[in-house]
Amino acid sequence: MELAKNLQTTINKSHGKTDLYVDLAQSISGILLVGFLWMHMLFVSTVVINPALFDTLSIGLDKYYLAQFGIPGTVLLIIVHIFLAGRRAPLRLRDLRIAWRLTRMMNHYDTWVWAGQVITALMIGIMASMHLWTIMTSWPLRAATSAARVASVGPADHSFGGFEFPFFIVFYVIFLIVGEYHAGFGLYRIFVKWGWFERHKMGWLLKGITVIIIALGFTALYTFTQIAANLPAGGAIH
Amino acid sequence: MSAKHTFISDVLVVGAGLAGNRAAIAAAEAGLDVIILSLIPPRRSHSTAAQGGMQAALGNSALGKGDSPDVHFADTVKGSDWGNDQEVARMFVETSPIAVRQLSQWGVPWNRVVAGKRKLPDGREVEDTKDKEGYITARDFGGTAKWRTCYTADGTGHTMVYAVDTVVCKMGITTHDRIEAISLIHDGVNCLGVVARNLRNGDIVTYLAKSTVIATGGSGRLYAASTNAVICNGAGGAICQATGIVPLGNMEAVQFHPTGMVPVWILMTEGARGDGGYLLDKNLYRFMPDYEPKKKELASRDVVSRRMTQHMRKGLGVDSKYGPHLWLDIRHLGRKWVWSNLREIANISMNFNGIDPATSLVPVRPTQHYTMGGVRTNKDGAAYGLKGLFALGEAACWDLHGFNRLGGNSVAETVVSGMIVGDAVAKYTLGATQNYNYKLIEDFVKIEEERIKNLISGKNGRENVYDIKKGVENAMMDHVGIFRTGPDLEQGVAKLQELYKRSLKIGLRSSGQGANPELADALRQPGLCRTALSICYGALMRTESRGSHSREDFPKRDDVNWLKRTLAYWKEGSDLPTLDYEPVVCKELPPGDRGYGESSAAGKDK
Amino acid sequence: MRQLTFSIFRFNPNIPGDKPRMQEYKLEEQDGMSMFVALTKIREELDPTLMFDFVCRAAICGSCAMLINGRPRLACKTLAKNMPSRITMMPLPVFKLIGDLCVDTGTWFKDLQIKTEAWVHTNKKFDPKALEEKMDNEVAEKIYEPDRCVECGCCVAACITANIRDDFIGATGINRVARFMLDPRDERSDADYFDVVGNEEGTFGCVGLMGCDDLCPMEIPLQENLAYVRRKMAAAGLKLQFQGVKVS
Repeated sequence: MELAKNLQTTINKSHGKTDLYVDLAQSISGILLVGFLWMHMLFVSTVVINPALFDTLSIGLDKYYLAQFGIPGTVLLIIVHIFLAGRRAPLRLRDLRIAWRLTRMMNHYDTWVWAGQVITALMIGIMASMHLWTIMTSWPLRAATSAARVASVGPADHSFGGFEFPFFIVFYVIFLIVGEYHAGFGLYRIFVKWGWFERHKMGWLLKGITVIIIALGFTALYTFTQIAANLPAGGAIH
Repeated sequence: MSAKHTFISDVLVVGAGLAGNRAAIAAAEAGLDVIILSLIPPRRSHSTAAQGGMQAALGNSALGKGDSPDVHFADTVKGSDWGNDQEVARMFVETSPIAVRQLSQWGVPWNRVVAGKRKLPDGREVEDTKDKEGYITARDFGGTAKWRTCYTADGTGHTMVYAVDTVVCKMGITTHDRIEAISLIHDGVNCLGVVARNLRNGDIVTYLAKSTVIATGGSGRLYAASTNAVICNGAGGAICQATGIVPLGNMEAVQFHPTGMVPVWILMTEGARGDGGYLLDKNLYRFMPDYEPKKKELASRDVVSRRMTQHMRKGLGVDSKYGPHLWLDIRHLGRKWVWSNLREIANISMNFNGIDPATSLVPVRPTQHYTMGGVRTNKDGAAYGLKGLFALGEAACWDLHGFNRLGGNSVAETVVSGMIVGDAVAKYTLGATQNYNYKLIEDFVKIEEERIKNLISGKNGRENVYDIKKGVENAMMDHVGIFRTGPDLEQGVAKLQELYKRSLKIGLRSSGQGANPELADALRQPGLCRTALSICYGALMRTESRGSHSREDFPKRDDVNWLKRTLAYWKEGSDLPTLDYEPVVCKELPPGDRGYGESSAAGKDK
Repeated sequence: MRQLTFSIFRFNPNIPGDKPRMQEYKLEEQDGMSMFVALTKIREELDPTLMFDFVCRAAICGSCAMLINGRPRLACKTLAKNMPSRITMMPLPVFKLIGDLCVDTGTWFKDLQIKTEAWVHTNKKFDPKALEEKMDNEVAEKIYEPDRCVECGCCVAACITANIRDDFIGATGINRVARFMLDPRDERSDADYFDVVGNEEGTFGCVGLMGCDDLCPMEIPLQENLAYVRRKMAAAGLKLQFQGVKVS
């Protein structure tokens, strides 16, 4: 502030209510994305109950054009969220250095959690794109195709020396944890900022929900591998 | 050589506690250019530590009904043991309610009257009436006939300091923090300003003004065990006394607060007893009613402190490695009361002793708390000896408190004298001009620069400032405590004289470069020794007991010979103050019985 | 009693050629030793050049905030018995360094008061003859809660946002504004308050890391107070939009 007060602040000042709308939009986009993610995981988890139910849901989404509008909408929301939340991240090298040094020195729980959010945000940016790409390239979504994708092992090409790696299962395990971490603590932070609930109790509640959803996700992944094992040979994705 | 920077203003206020800030506001309201100097950021002043409250006769609370400035006046005079200036006390009690209400408008969140009946810890039932609901309430304090102490929980001083400082801020008054005044500039008739040291970088700077106001607080830190902040060392008074023509008044009048927490000597507010707390001895026996059947724990502070000491001398204190102590018991007030209305002291006992006062006893012992004496001024706050020099607050002997101050009257004095003296300063300054020879100012700067040079080079000697500081603190504890005797005081004077001589031979162990803290201490120390000597020597010469000055060899108040005020001058080259006396005029209330304390009890026995 | 090792940041920018470094001092632990006692002992017995700030030494004034073992704390109420035998001390970040452990919180907070206009805004003239205006005791208590802030700077030091953005007013600033919002004597309108804190330098700059809430030495419920201001400012902003009121 020592320095800031000596600067030209009149013409550069944020005018009107922009800062409010940006802040609101950040919170709202976050809440919507958490809502999307949690719904998404619930939908995916239907495969645990019955693969047919999964397929019915998927067909339903396509039939009523929910997927066709939902996916581009979500992508748009993610992009908006990246811009809005990204402006809070320490982007300059100087900021990054200060943030990292202080986080380590203070060793304060919530600050560490936030550092985790910044890192998971970067990972989600990359992993969500890959996820989206693989889905779009294997449309439509059915329990069998998803199972095959999850269970696929590659490259398995002998020209690479017969190297086998269960890429997608590892990918989804990481993506699941990273995504749910970011969503759970993101929602926590939104609630903290707006102060609707007691902070510590609400933190535990959200941690509980996050663990449950991760557990659901693992169960779904396991179910997919089981489905894949029972698929006829050659049922792998293209 | 001249100073690095020179600042000129109409009014210079040294000290940014409640008194200094309030006076500055009064002067600025008159359209004067004011600069305030402060050792520290103003909001960190020791005024913030005033926990319990501020006395003002509003008469809103249940047991405050029927209160008036007259009752407040009588309480204050009795509290002072007829040692104060009754004209000042009269102005004070009339203005205090106005001050409280103005502070309310400035934002102090005073606690308010809540209508309804409630039972006090001692079983009495009281009722706050509906017509008073929402007005400023008050709690009980020692030595008062009515509940008169207005408060915000037990952070009264804090909220007052912040509210007053917001007004300083709003009015755009210039405040220079981390500046220490190290000498007064004067020509023998007029005060011209101060030479100061910048505590950020060690630069010597001068401040010149038509009027200079000293509001630097008390000198409690001359004692090893004091509730005071570490900056309360009396240096402001010392630089005035160093002129040789400005006297310190009644320095022997030193208050010991009954409840300093053992062993860190942090204050446990009188509000704890005002709200119904007890003092217990090692048998967990509540002993105060035996000594003071009427006021019990809430006699005036000098009396309670003496009774506690007396009780401990009987072997009834709790033994600890820090010496005997007694217990403060507020458990019966209940957790809710303790952790809301007495939260600061609850926090303090938790933080520093690991004790929750809602469930445990707090160890306490009488601890140095307040200096009634200070730069002697007239009722306008104008210092004796120099024109254009004013003093107020604890730094001054305006003489509201005489030989004992009532709890809640000091924080009240700061703002009330801020209003009254501030207006007087404004009036004086508006009609004044300043005329000086610049060479004079350069000479004063040169003296200080010479002192600094000699301290760094060790030209005068190699005495360690901290040894001397500790020596003074211990001598004051050993010889000028709650009970005093002639031989003890004589020894004290001798020790302090020796320490004073050594303080003139201090040499730094460090380089003294920049804002060196050792240099700051070294520059101050001779002045602090002189102040300590003024206390000890004044106590030795006053052969009576009055208020907090209690001579075991002269246990009675002597109104025939001692209805007078001590004035301690310091002549250059001397190693003792020159004492002079002026009469105390009891304009309204002639000397009589306080209604509590030893003489009152003796009177009843007859 | 343990032997304590103090590793203390040393740098006096006013001494030409001085360089920032950590310096070690060893002291015997004493019963009930606070960092106030320890640092005073170091200055008086080991190194008279060591700069630090104490005033009340009772956790009332807020002078002695510093990083002790990495965390912002008030040194006066940090007790050795609750610390490991190796104790590092650094000055607070964000605030300008005066020397060693001293930082200039005074200037920062003064700027903050001016920036947030932290005083009671009223057009009422004081009438010395009038009684005070009535107020509910509950309201007074509510105002006192945020008013307890001692401006020590711990919340600012503990906040990544305040560390990387020079113009962010920090939890203490938002809390200070909350204090005036709760005060019926302050006649400012929602639009006035929105102008002061309805932006990224104020309430919408907070990321919610809660270093402030967890490390406030006065245990002021900062999360509650910050959220209160954010909700109030969001509602005010939307209402003003709805009413078509422009804020500058």
